[in-house]
Amino acid sequence: MSSALTVLKEQIKHFYLVRRLSVYEMKSANSSNYLGILWEIINPMIQIAIYWFVFGFIILNRGENFLPWLMAGIVVWFFVNPAITQTSKSVYSRMNMVSKMSFPMSVIPSYVIFAKLYQHLMLLGVIIILLGFTGYLPTVYILQLPYYVAATVLLLFSLGLITSTLSTIIRDVHNIIVSLMKVMFYLTPILWVLDAKEHPTIVNIMKLNPLYYIVEGYRASLLGESWYLIAHWEYTLYFWAVVIILFLIGSSLHVRFRDRFVDFK
Amino acid sequence: MEKSVIVKDITKKYKLYNKNSEKLLDLLLPKSYGEEYFALRNVSFEAEKGDVIGFVGVNGSGKSTLSNIIAGIVPPTDGNVQTNGKTALIAVSSGLNNQLTGRENIELKMLMLGFDKNRIKELEPEIIEFSELGKFIDQPVKSYSSGMKSRLGFSISVHIDPDILIIDEALSVGDKNFAEKCLEKMNEFKAKGKTMFFVSHSIGQMKKFCQKALWLEYGELKAYGAMKEVMPQYEAFLKEYNAMSKQEQKKYREEQMKRRSSALV
Repeated sequence: MSSALTVLKEQIKHFYLVRRLSVYEMKSANSSNYLGILWEIINPMIQIAIYWFVFGFIILNRGENFLPWLMAGIVVWFFVNPAITQTSKSVYSRMNMVSKMSFPMSVIPSYVIFAKLYQHLMLLGVIIILLGFTGYLPTVYILQLPYYVAATVLLLFSLGLITSTLSTIIRDVHNIIVSLMKVMFYLTPILWVLDAKEHPTIVNIMKLNPLYYIVEGYRASLLGESWYLIAHWEYTLYFWAVVIILFLIGSSLHVRFRDRFVDFK
Repeated sequence: MEKSVIVKDITKKYKLYNKNSEKLLDLLLPKSYGEEYFALRNVSFEAEKGDVIGFVGVNGSGKSTLSNIIAGIVPPTDGNVQTNGKTALIAVSSGLNNQLTGRENIELKMLMLGFDKNRIKELEPEIIEFSELGKFIDQPVKSYSSGMKSRLGFSISVHIDPDILIIDEALSVGDKNFAEKCLEKMNEFKAKGKTMFFVSHSIGQMKKFCQKALWLEYGELKAYGAMKEVMPQYEAFLKEYNAMSKQEQKKYREEQMKRRSSALV
């Protein structure tokens, strides 16, 4: 409990640091190519096009409504996937930048997530415009979108505290996470979804994955389907319970090992 | 005289593993695996305000480890260090981000050291002026020569106005002109009564600049006192060591190596 408070206090106290460092993080990732940050838009667009072609026409033959459905869900995946894989290596790959033991280490995963968040917001803007062209103009339901963005950030941060600590101690954890995320892509309803009436058990098992909640929430807000967080309030409670538990585990791991991070370099 | 650094019974142990599996077992099981190696053992000394202390010793005697511990970058395994005031370490590889420009690195580095926005803005022009980088300041650091990098690192470190300055071989890279400028700056610090530690293999430079010397031999404190007293002893040792045959030198090193691993303690 006390380590959770320590981490929270650090985040609030060093918020300016998080913002500045995330800007530099973004700059150093994109400074060497000519199109720079535009790649953060181009790359997802190419992937969406190929998934649309392969899954929409060849494998699943889902027809016209597939593209907006795909875009509304996959947009958050382009945030979650790089954020999870990069936060997991964030601490050990930046140890040489940290030149003071008193440096608030817990801001490292959070500034890496923030750097990805800016790119996500840009891509989200582009996707909202594209959805408008495919006939899904923003509705009142889009008001719940900020809630889902915030929920994603908090989930990523709680998870990032755990993964960044573990992979600093054992580097292989990072490799496990990278492979696991490839699996998760197919276990989260991004390309396909099961009908809850036909396969209730499987769907319920899949729903244990908190990313399921996020992806469906994004869809509900972008496609104007429902007030997902209220309509599925039990699921909302489950999601936040998961986030809080992950955060408690993550912060206690982080605080316990952070003085020794430099020894694991 | 006021004490500025009190080092008490510092020991730094590293674990040496022969196999990766040993490393993993050591991490997971309570039993200890691998061989312990003492980088430093029971080192204690006190420094007063205004002292300029040179660390001498052959390669691998623990000079850099001691500097890192005093600077607060690496935690000691045992013992404690008490420092009165801000410390800064200047080393050749001082954590610059290659993708970013020199100017951006200045802000980044200062943010990492805990400076606020206004103070950074205030100091930036001075740092740029001192570093003599000219228009290179807006070029990415990856295009810098090693001399330019160390100039930038040195400029940042001296301008954060530390009370305790630790210089680890950093002056051997710059040209004579810049080295003189640095010595001038360090004399200024000396006059202000700041404490400085100086790690160098250049005995001449050290004699000129330091009043005290600390001689480390294989992780243990061999002698500490006025430069006039310690340096002749060290020079005599070096002479003797150099006069030994290759085989004797090897034997000597192996003997010392044995003393440093825990197996025989």
